[in-house]
Amino acid sequence: MTSTGATENLRPRISFYQDHHGILSWIFTLDHKRIGLLYLIFVIAFFFSGVVLGFLMRLQMLAPGNIMKPQEYNSLFTLHGIIMIFLVVIPAIPTVFGNFFLPIQIGARDVAFPRINLLSWWLYITGAAIVALSVFTGEGPPDTGWTFYAPYSLRTTVNVPLAVFGVFILGMSSILTGINLVTTTHRLRAPGLTWKRLPLFVWAIYATSWVQILATPVIGVTMVLIFLERFFGVGVFDPTKGGDPILYQHMFWIYSHPATYIMILPAMGIVSDVVPVFARKKIFGYTAIALSGMAIAAVGSLVWGHHMFVSGQSDFANLLFSLLTFLVAVPSAIKVFNWVATLHKGSVVIEPPLLFCLAFIFLFSIGGLTGLIQGALAPNVHLHDTYWIPGHFHYIIFGGMGFGLFAAFHYWFPKMFGRMYNRKMAIWAWAIMLIGFNIFYFSMLLLGWEGMPRRYYDYLPQFRTLHLTATFGSWILIAGLILMFGNLFRGLFKGEKAEDNPWNGVTLEWQIPSPPPTENFEQIPVIRHGPYDFKELEKNE
Amino acid sequence: MSETKESVFEEIKDYTGAKLGMWLFILAELLLFGGMFILYSAYRYKSPADFHQASKELDVILGTLNTIILLTSSLSVAACISAIQKGQRKLSMYLLTVTMALGLLFLVNKGFEWGTKIEHGIYPNSPALLARTKGEILFFGLYYVMTGLHGLHVLVGVCVLFVMLILIAKDRIDRMHFTPLENSGLYWHLVDIIWIFLYPLFYLIT
Amino acid sequence: MKTEEPPHVTAYRTYLLVWVGLVILTGLTYTVAVGLQAEGWAVFVALAIAGTKSGLVLNYFMHLKSERLTIFKIIIPLVMAVFLVFILLTFSDLAFRGGVK
Repeated sequence: MTSTGATENLRPRISFYQDHHGILSWIFTLDHKRIGLLYLIFVIAFFFSGVVLGFLMRLQMLAPGNIMKPQEYNSLFTLHGIIMIFLVVIPAIPTVFGNFFLPIQIGARDVAFPRINLLSWWLYITGAAIVALSVFTGEGPPDTGWTFYAPYSLRTTVNVPLAVFGVFILGMSSILTGINLVTTTHRLRAPGLTWKRLPLFVWAIYATSWVQILATPVIGVTMVLIFLERFFGVGVFDPTKGGDPILYQHMFWIYSHPATYIMILPAMGIVSDVVPVFARKKIFGYTAIALSGMAIAAVGSLVWGHHMFVSGQSDFANLLFSLLTFLVAVPSAIKVFNWVATLHKGSVVIEPPLLFCLAFIFLFSIGGLTGLIQGALAPNVHLHDTYWIPGHFHYIIFGGMGFGLFAAFHYWFPKMFGRMYNRKMAIWAWAIMLIGFNIFYFSMLLLGWEGMPRRYYDYLPQFRTLHLTATFGSWILIAGLILMFGNLFRGLFKGEKAEDNPWNGVTLEWQIPSPPPTENFEQIPVIRHGPYDFKELEKNE
Repeated sequence: MSETKESVFEEIKDYTGAKLGMWLFILAELLLFGGMFILYSAYRYKSPADFHQASKELDVILGTLNTIILLTSSLSVAACISAIQKGQRKLSMYLLTVTMALGLLFLVNKGFEWGTKIEHGIYPNSPALLARTKGEILFFGLYYVMTGLHGLHVLVGVCVLFVMLILIAKDRIDRMHFTPLENSGLYWHLVDIIWIFLYPLFYLIT
Repeated sequence: MKTEEPPHVTAYRTYLLVWVGLVILTGLTYTVAVGLQAEGWAVFVALAIAGTKSGLVLNYFMHLKSERLTIFKIIIPLVMAVFLVFILLTFSDLAFRGGVK
């Protein structure tokens, strides 16, 4: 397979797809690009199943009255949460695009530990299988919410142990990915690629990976403890044995709040890479964006108590956590400001990747602002456990991370697959999703404001109009999703062949063939300029 | 760069990178146990007298002995690595065996400790334990979970060291290629460090 | 990619001395615990000794002292800071449940 020398330049490089054939060459691959695609297939599959669950939830909530039993509804929202959070949103960008593009963007041939990378994927699949098992065996899927709060999670007779064990395995997968990408960034950068010349996507994945390494173990041990409590009655969270359920919440959120930064930082990294390309302008405030990502990772690990304002936590803790929560908004705002400043006076090119980034900025800002409202103690008393909360986090996670993910799909599609999707369809899909999204989730914010509690399977008549609106919005959103995925899927097989650099980007992935060869680079490049130096690119044309 | 010997993993080209990866894994493990130390602190803060009372029932001599055993095993594994670096193959194998033996001895002692407690009816959810104060129930709950999880890590460590022993025997680890051995040593020291904290917190509560 | 010199070989004697220190510290923590039976702050003395022992293991057995790269120098302080933050913020709840006096 490998050959060196002049002959290389005479015949076209074979892509990493053509290098080895057969399913075994995929599921036992050590190629970071193949592993990224393996993750992609399953992330999308799990995303669809999560959407189906959400669709069923909204069907139940379309009107007062029931089309399902309350227990079923509880299991629906629990599974929707577990699948979306642990199988989709946390892993998606680091494992798909981090794996595929971080090595290329730093001029490396692969990650630092290719076999550990494969192991991470196998653990991901195993964890998912265990979670699936919890749905179809025993007394059925968990009904605790994805948060598994004690003491209910200790008492409910459904499959909590299997589900939490699945989460534990998924946590291991996440930790190993973090270790791999941190080591890769430290050790495998091409000559001349200093930290200050790294693409901001790499900085974002780097910050994310630290959070994965440091925070995930805490939920790991917490899930183990739930497991042990149920089987051995250890007592650490069980009030009848002196355990403190609020302590469970602390342990749970110590990870799960930083987890939201594992979700959003990579998406922010994508926006930071995409915006300069489509503004044809260097990013405004490179250092601020790079360091604000690290700051978000750090400060974001100090705010978990804002999930617990009404739990019985001390007033002093409430004050502290509220203050810290307001602080963490600052580095996020810095990023938004810098992205907008990059666009200002740039030569803006309207293409699907940029549109998704613009939507990100808009939706993430709404999500962030609602976060401030609920981060203040007095409003939180009224808003906690109402629809306001899922309204807020869907703006951030779906509007933010989700649209960031879609931006990545549309930006890197030509590089990954060597083909282009239909741009017009992509823009239609984007518009439909944006409209559906806002009708859906803004209604949720209003519902919460009006006092509609969350995780309720039914409701009083006064809420029916907003619920109806929300459900209709969800259908429009789903239509947009189907159109988007359909367009991308079609592009895979019927799309036009894509050039190596359709967007005229400067980062390294655009300097190699689409799709890349297995070893990424014929020769490891020597880096002489920053990643958004468009003038450099123009000089070489 | 041509190599005359193969190591069992393909040639580890980046020794520092492999070491960094192991250290990052150690950080994760430290926080895994750290989570339980948070729980321990919370409950000891809540019921200090109960913890003191319950701690008296643990065998301090056995605990101290186990501490010395693990510290010595850290010495032997560290020396083992120096030995392999000096090309002293037989000595390194001997030291590695000593390390594993000490690790197993630790586990045997732990087994006795647990066995005695269980015989006396003190184990999670036992009627005898549930009859006690909440603080004592929590103390023993944490005791079993934390020393249990630690013991599991000791066992894994012994297995990993055993694999290293085989690799040295087969000359796949030698003075030029010993990264897996060094990383296994790092893991073993981690296990030692965790016990360094478990010991005073469970056996020496004043 | 990066060629490196073989790592520094620590002398057996160094390891032995460290071990002696560890054993002495173990004896110290035992004695102090027995002697400070009723003191609330004794746990901090025990933690300080445990911290010192860990420092010896980290620096000498695990060779952290001889590491030159910045990343190796910051990882242990980093994990200590993270742990400290987790435990302090948790205690901002636990220690003040009855309200701030």
